[in-house]
Amino acid sequence: MQDRLQEIQAQAEHQIASAATEAALQDVKASLFGKQGSLTALMSLLPQMNSEQRPAAGREINALKNHLNSLVETRQEEVRMKAAESFEEFDVTLPGIWPEDGSLHPITQMCYDLNDIFRSMGFELYAEPEITSELYAFDNLNFAFEHPARESMDTYWIAGHDSGTGGERLCLRPHLTGASVRYLQTHKPPFRFVYPGRAFRNEATDARHERAFFQYEALIVSEEFTFASGKIMIKSILDKVFGRDVPVRMRVGFFPFVEPGFEIDMGCLICGGKGCSVCKQVGWIEIMPGGTPHPNVLRAAGLDPNQYTGFYVNIGLDRLVMMRYELDDVRLFRNPDLRFLKQFC
Amino acid sequence: MKLSLSWIKDYISLPDDLPLHQLARDLTISTVEVEGMTHLSSQFEHMVLGVVQEIQAHPNADRLWLCLTDIGSEVIEIVCGGTNLRKGMKVAVALPGAKLRWHGEGELIELTRAKVRGIVSNGMICSSSEIGLFDLFPFTSEATIMDLSDFDCTAGTSLAKTLDLEDIILEIDNKSLTNRPDLWGHYGVAREIAAIYSLKLLELSACKPVAPNLQVTLHDPSVSPRYIGLRLDGLSTAQAPYHIRSRIWRLGLRPLNGIVDITNYVMLATGQPTHAFDADYLKGNTQVRFASEGERLLLLNGTDIDLTSTDLVIADDEGPIALAGVMGGKRDSILPQTERIFLEIACFEAKGVRRTSSRVGLRTEAATRYEKGIDPERCDLALTLAVELFYGSYPDLTLAGFTDNYPLSQQDKCLTLSFSWLTRRLGKEIPRETIAAILDRLGFKVSYDEDTVNLVIPSWRGTGDVSIPEDIIEEIARIHGFDNFTPQPISIIFEKPVNQRKMDLDREIREYLAFRCGMNEIYTYPWVSDSLINTVIGTTEGMFSLIAPPSPEERLLRSSLIPSLCKAVAQNLHHSDSFRLFESAKVFFDRDYQSVFDSREFLPHQENHVVASLVGSLDQAGLLFREGKGVVEALPRYLHVESLTMNQLQKPPWADDFLWLNVFSGDESVGNVGLLTRRVALACGIKNAAVVIMELKLDSLKPLPSRSNPYTMISEFPQSSSDLSLIVDRVVKWREITDVIYSVRDQAGLLRDVIFIEEYQGPQVGAGKKSITLRLVIGSFHKTLTSGEIEAFSNSVTRELAKHLGAELRSQ
Repeated sequence: MQDRLQEIQAQAEHQIASAATEAALQDVKASLFGKQGSLTALMSLLPQMNSEQRPAAGREINALKNHLNSLVETRQEEVRMKAAESFEEFDVTLPGIWPEDGSLHPITQMCYDLNDIFRSMGFELYAEPEITSELYAFDNLNFAFEHPARESMDTYWIAGHDSGTGGERLCLRPHLTGASVRYLQTHKPPFRFVYPGRAFRNEATDARHERAFFQYEALIVSEEFTFASGKIMIKSILDKVFGRDVPVRMRVGFFPFVEPGFEIDMGCLICGGKGCSVCKQVGWIEIMPGGTPHPNVLRAAGLDPNQYTGFYVNIGLDRLVMMRYELDDVRLFRNPDLRFLKQFC
Repeated sequence: MKLSLSWIKDYISLPDDLPLHQLARDLTISTVEVEGMTHLSSQFEHMVLGVVQEIQAHPNADRLWLCLTDIGSEVIEIVCGGTNLRKGMKVAVALPGAKLRWHGEGELIELTRAKVRGIVSNGMICSSSEIGLFDLFPFTSEATIMDLSDFDCTAGTSLAKTLDLEDIILEIDNKSLTNRPDLWGHYGVAREIAAIYSLKLLELSACKPVAPNLQVTLHDPSVSPRYIGLRLDGLSTAQAPYHIRSRIWRLGLRPLNGIVDITNYVMLATGQPTHAFDADYLKGNTQVRFASEGERLLLLNGTDIDLTSTDLVIADDEGPIALAGVMGGKRDSILPQTERIFLEIACFEAKGVRRTSSRVGLRTEAATRYEKGIDPERCDLALTLAVELFYGSYPDLTLAGFTDNYPLSQQDKCLTLSFSWLTRRLGKEIPRETIAAILDRLGFKVSYDEDTVNLVIPSWRGTGDVSIPEDIIEEIARIHGFDNFTPQPISIIFEKPVNQRKMDLDREIREYLAFRCGMNEIYTYPWVSDSLINTVIGTTEGMFSLIAPPSPEERLLRSSLIPSLCKAVAQNLHHSDSFRLFESAKVFFDRDYQSVFDSREFLPHQENHVVASLVGSLDQAGLLFREGKGVVEALPRYLHVESLTMNQLQKPPWADDFLWLNVFSGDESVGNVGLLTRRVALACGIKNAAVVIMELKLDSLKPLPSRSNPYTMISEFPQSSSDLSLIVDRVVKWREITDVIYSVRDQAGLLRDVIFIEEYQGPQVGAGKKSITLRLVIGSFHKTLTSGEIEAFSNSVTRELAKHLGAELRSQ
C-alpha cells in the first residue's frame, strides 16, 4: 500500500508539473480521480482491508488526494497565466464593441435639458392640444382682428372648420402661447410652468425657416415680478444649456401678447461677440421673444392685471439646437435620416 | 426700410463723439433693429472731380479723345470716347483702384492704368451708368459722360463730396417697425434719437395755405378721417432739384420728375404718403367713397382691377381715379406735359388699406405706411413740407385751391397712472423728474402731483401703439436703458415637489425606446398624402385636411404615425439594412368634439401616439416580431405603468395575416405590434426587409404612482435547471405548453421559472411536428434538492405534457 501510494505520488507530481495545458491537466486529474483513476482504484480496495488497517489507509489516501488536488490547482493557475501570455499578439487597436446606439432626437434632448433646468426651479410641465381654435391662438392673446397671422397664408386652418369664429374656427397651433391661457384657467396662481411642443406656420421653407418647428415657452405669473428679473431666468437657462457664461441682452420688441415686449439676444458663441457671418456681424443672435403678459391676456385667463404680473419667454428650440451643433439648415431636423440622427446619440 | 443719416441730421445735431456703432446699438436696444450700415461714399472711392483742360484727337482712333484733365493735384492724360466732351467741363474721373462697370454692365471691375489703342490712359472719365449713378444722372444717347459743371466744387474734390453723397445709410428691420407708424419717416426716427440722447429736435411748424376753397366729399369719415387737397398750377415735369433727387435716390427710389419726386420726398421725411393727380384730367367733384361692385380701375402700374364694395377709392364724376392709400390710377397720373396738379395729403384708416392692398397684392410704400395706422395730425407736417418744396422748386407756382377736410378732429388721448405703480412694475425707483423728462422727450404732455401722473399721448403714438399704462412702462424702461435695471433674484415658494407622472411618461417611454431598446428617434411632419394613407391604413375617413396645405398632395392631418414611419423606413433602407426607428407625436381625429377650457370652444379628439419599428432581413421576420413583442412586454416594468397584455382580437390593416397582436391595458386596447404586411411594404418602397411595427396610445398607458414591484426573496439554496427537448405537433402553442407546466401538481413550490430556449422544425423531427427546447428552473427555499427530487418533478412535467399535448421527449 505505502509503496503504491509513493509510486502514484511520484508519478503524479511529475505529470502535474509537466502538464503544459489545461486539457493535459484534466487528463492527469482523470487518471488519478476518474472512474478508472489510480487513486479511485486504491479507494476501491479499502473495503477489502481489515478494520485495523483501513482507517490509516483511508487517511493516507485522502491526504494524498488533497495534496495532489492542490498541486493540480496551483499548476492550473500557472498554466492559465502562461496561456494569458498568448495575447501577446492581440491587436488592442481593434475597435471596441459599442453599446446600442439608440438616440433621442437632438431637439428632444434640448427640450429635456430645459425641462431639467426648469424643474429644478420648481416649474411644472404643461401641454395643450395641437389642433387649437382661433379663440386660444389669437383672440385671447390680444391679436387684433385684422392681424395678418390670422390669414391662411400664415396659419394652417382646417378645412370644414374655418368658417366660424373664435372657438369654432380650428387650426394647427401657430405658436404655443395659447396654451398659457389654458393653464392659467385651470390652475391657481401663482404660476410657474413651461409648455414645450410643436407649432406650425404656413411659410416657405429654407435653411432658416420651417413649417413645423419646436418651441419652448415658460411663464411665471405672480403678484411681484419685474421684467428685469426675467433676464436672470433667461441667463440661467442659456448658461446651463451651453455650459458657459452666455451674455444676454434685452431689446425692445413688439408682440401682441406682451407689454412691455422684448427681443432677447444671446452673445454669438461662434465669434464671442466680435461679429461673424453667423451673427451677421453684430455679435448677437436673436434667440427668443419675451416680456410681461399683456393685461388683456391675463384678463382672458380670468386674472386681475392690477394684481398679477409676470414674465414670459418663447425659446425657438430649433435655433438653439442649431447653435449647439453649429448646424446651418433647420430642415435637417424633420428629415428622418439616420446618418444625421445618429450623430446625436 | 432705409434711412439717411444726413437726412436725420436735418432735424437733430448728433453729438460729435457718438460712434456710429453706438448709435446703431442704442437704436436697436431702445427703438428699432438696425440691421446694417453702409457708407454711401465707399462705392466712389478713387473717384474725383476733374476739369477737362484740353481735348486732343487720339492718334490711333477716330472716336476716342485724349483729355488733359485737371484732378487737383496734377493734370493727367485720359483717353475718353465721350460724345459730349467739351473744354472746361467738370467730369467724374475714376482713378486706378476705382471700381466700376464697363458700359454700366456686368461685374464691378477695378480700374488700372492701361493703354487704350497705344496711348496710356491714367484714369477714366465716367458715364453715370459706369459708376452706378444712372438713375440720378440719366442720359439717352450712347457714350454720354456725366456733366458735373453745375456743381460748385474745384478739381480734385472727391466725387462723393462733390455729389453730397458722404452719407451713411441705416438698414432697419421692417418687422421691428410694425407697431410704430411714427417711425416710417426720417423725422420720427430723429425724434426717437433725440429722446435717447436728450437732444433738441427741430420743430416743424404747420402752415395753413390761403387759397380758393376746393370741394372734396368724404362719404365715411371713419375710414378717411382727414383729407387735404391742394391745387398747384405752374408746374412742370422737369427734374427736381438735385438735393431732392439725390436724397430719394440714396434710399432706393428712382427719381422720375419734379412733381413725383417731391411727393416721395415728403413721404420719406414725414412718413405721410401723398399723391399727385394731373388736375387737367379730373372731372367734376372729388370724393372719397367705397367702390361699387362692378366698378373697375386702371392702376398706375397698368393693371386693370375689379373693385369691390370694401375698397375705398378717390373718385371724380367719371368714376374711381385712385385706390385710396394704395395706388393712383392711370387716367390722372402725372404725364410729361403735366402743369397743374391736385395734391392729396390724406389719412386713411389702416385696416381698410391693408385689406385692399393684400386683396389686390400691391405692397406699395404708401400702403405699407397707411396699414400701420397713421395719425391724422401728421398731414400738417406733410402739408408744410410739400408747400415749401413746391415753392422752392417751381418759381412760377400758384396755389389755385385748398381744402382741409377734417370733420372729426381728434380728441387728445390721455392716460393716468401712479409713480408707485411704475416703481413696483419697473422694480426700481426712478426720480419723478427723470420719468417726466423721458416722457416729455417722447412727446407726451406730462403733469403730475404727489403720486398721480397725467399724460396726453402724442398724436403720432396714439393710433394703437400707446394706449394702456403698461405701454408707459416700456417707454420709460427703453429710454432709461434696459441695462440700468438691476434684476431682483427670483424667489421660490416651496409647497410641494412637482410630481407629474403622466407628463413624465412621454419622456420615459422615449428614453426606454432609445436607450434600452437601441432605437433612434425621428421627427416627421403631421401632414401626409392621401396615397400614403390609403396604402398603409386603407382609408382616409375621419381625417382632417388643411385649407392651404404645404403641398397639394400633403393635405391630410394624420390619425396614425405609421404611414410616416413606413416612409422613413423606406428612406433609410437606402443606406442601411438593419435599424430601429421611433416617433412620439400627436394624431388627430375629426370626432368626439369636447369643450374643456371654454364653453365657446370645441376641440376634436387628439391623441399622443408612440410608434416604433424594427427593421431587419426578411428571413429574420419571426425573430424581429419576438423582439418587438419583447419591447412591449418589458415596457410596463421599466416605465412603471399598469401591466399590458397581448392577444389577437382585431388585425391592424397594415399587419401580416399571422404575425400581429393587439396590446391591452386592462380591457382597453392601447396598441398593436405586428409585421408590416408584404403588400404595404412593397407599396411603400420597402423591398428586401422585414419591418416589425409597434404602436401605442401614450395617453392610455396608466402610470403607477411609484415603483410597485415588491421584492422577491432569494433562496439560500441552489437552483437547478433542467432542459427538456420536446417534440409536439406544429399547431401546439407555447402558451399551451406553459399552461400545462404551471398546472403540474407542485405542492412544495419547486417550479421557479419556465424559459423558452428554441424551436426547431425540419427533417429531423418529421412532418407536422416541431421540437421545442425549454428549461425548467427548479429550487426550494428550504433545502438543497436532491437529484431524485429534481428528476421526479421534471418527469411529472414530461408526463403531463405527454398526456395533454402528446409531447415526446426528443432525446429518447
